Amino acid sequence: MDEMADNSDPATIPAAESIAEPSDVELVAEARSGDEQAFEQLFNRHRRRVSLIASRFFRQREQLEEIVQESFTKAYFALNDFSNQQETSFASWIARIAFNACYDELRRMKRRPESSMSNVSEEEAAWLKEQVRSEGAGQDIESGAVSRDLADKLLARLSPEDRMVLLMMDVEGLSVNEIAESTSWSVSKVKVRAHRARAGLRRVLKRFL
Amino acid sequence: MITKKKDSARDERLDRVGREIVRASALNEAEADRVASSPFLYTRLRARIAEERARREERESWLAMLAVAWRSVPAMALVAIFAFILFLSAGTGTTATASFTDEALLGERDAGVEQVVFADRQPLSSDEILTTILYEDEQGASR
Repeated sequence: MDEMADNSDPATIPAAESIAEPSDVELVAEARSGDEQAFEQLFNRHRRRVSLIASRFFRQREQLEEIVQESFTKAYFALNDFSNQQETSFASWIARIAFNACYDELRRMKRRPESSMSNVSEEEAAWLKEQVRSEGAGQDIESGAVSRDLADKLLARLSPEDRMVLLMMDVEGLSVNEIAESTSWSVSKVKVRAHRARAGLRRVLKRFL
Repeated sequence: MITKKKDSARDERLDRVGREIVRASALNEAEADRVASSPFLYTRLRARIAEERARREERESWLAMLAVAWRSVPAMALVAIFAFILFLSAGTGTTATASFTDEALLGERDAGVEQVVFADRQPLSSDEILTTILYEDEQGASR
């Protein structure tokens, strides 16, 4: 009761309000009206999430930075398009922008001849064969740096769409509907893509058996 | 039947390994944290935003110029058509009033000029030339 009485004290209410952090929606409104510090605050709140999304797709630091910058630049110029009624939150809005930036970068990489996939070495192929044959496969994959490189090599053989869908499903744990929302694809397209992506990855793996 | 079962078992195994491979490829959190905590990341972002803004403004100014040019096309076409019509009408006017004959150029009312022209038109005969030469020779000999 005493606490309630303390909270209702008019002298303490303004102090409490001034301490309270502004919400993302408020910051967006301020940034929209030209407040650069509000945008900086939004950036500081969400940069780790965007960086994490980029790290799902790319390994090099420069690529991650590029995705972070690209995503926030797009967001900055599209702040007027953001409305809290349509999107669940600013976090999901910026995540969607980041996924699209990753997808664009994957497509650009696929077009560049210098980024063509490198060959899987004999050692890696043998290791992969062992993984597929052994019943307890997968336990060891996550720990090995070799397998990370190998995973990159194998996934480079998939189309950007397939890679995107697989990462969103298996790593981000997104549902078909959520992927459809993030990519602006139809639900049926996501389902077909996911099916083809799995079949594609299976085909890639079969070559090493 | 047996081969079908065998195939589906193998596909399941491949899918499982595939999932693990996808997860392994996404294991990069340490690098993500390093990027996110980079002290100059926001400074670089500001620079990029400024660059993008300048590019957009330049593109917008070009678009505005193109729009102005696009809007002026009908006006310029109208002016060109008007000038062409004016040229045609002026051309037909001169051909109807005056043909490029001597009479038209000199004018019939100026009789003096006409006479001079007619005098100029009379060529010297070869006899006159010969007479003139002989006369000059004789005069030269008498001196």
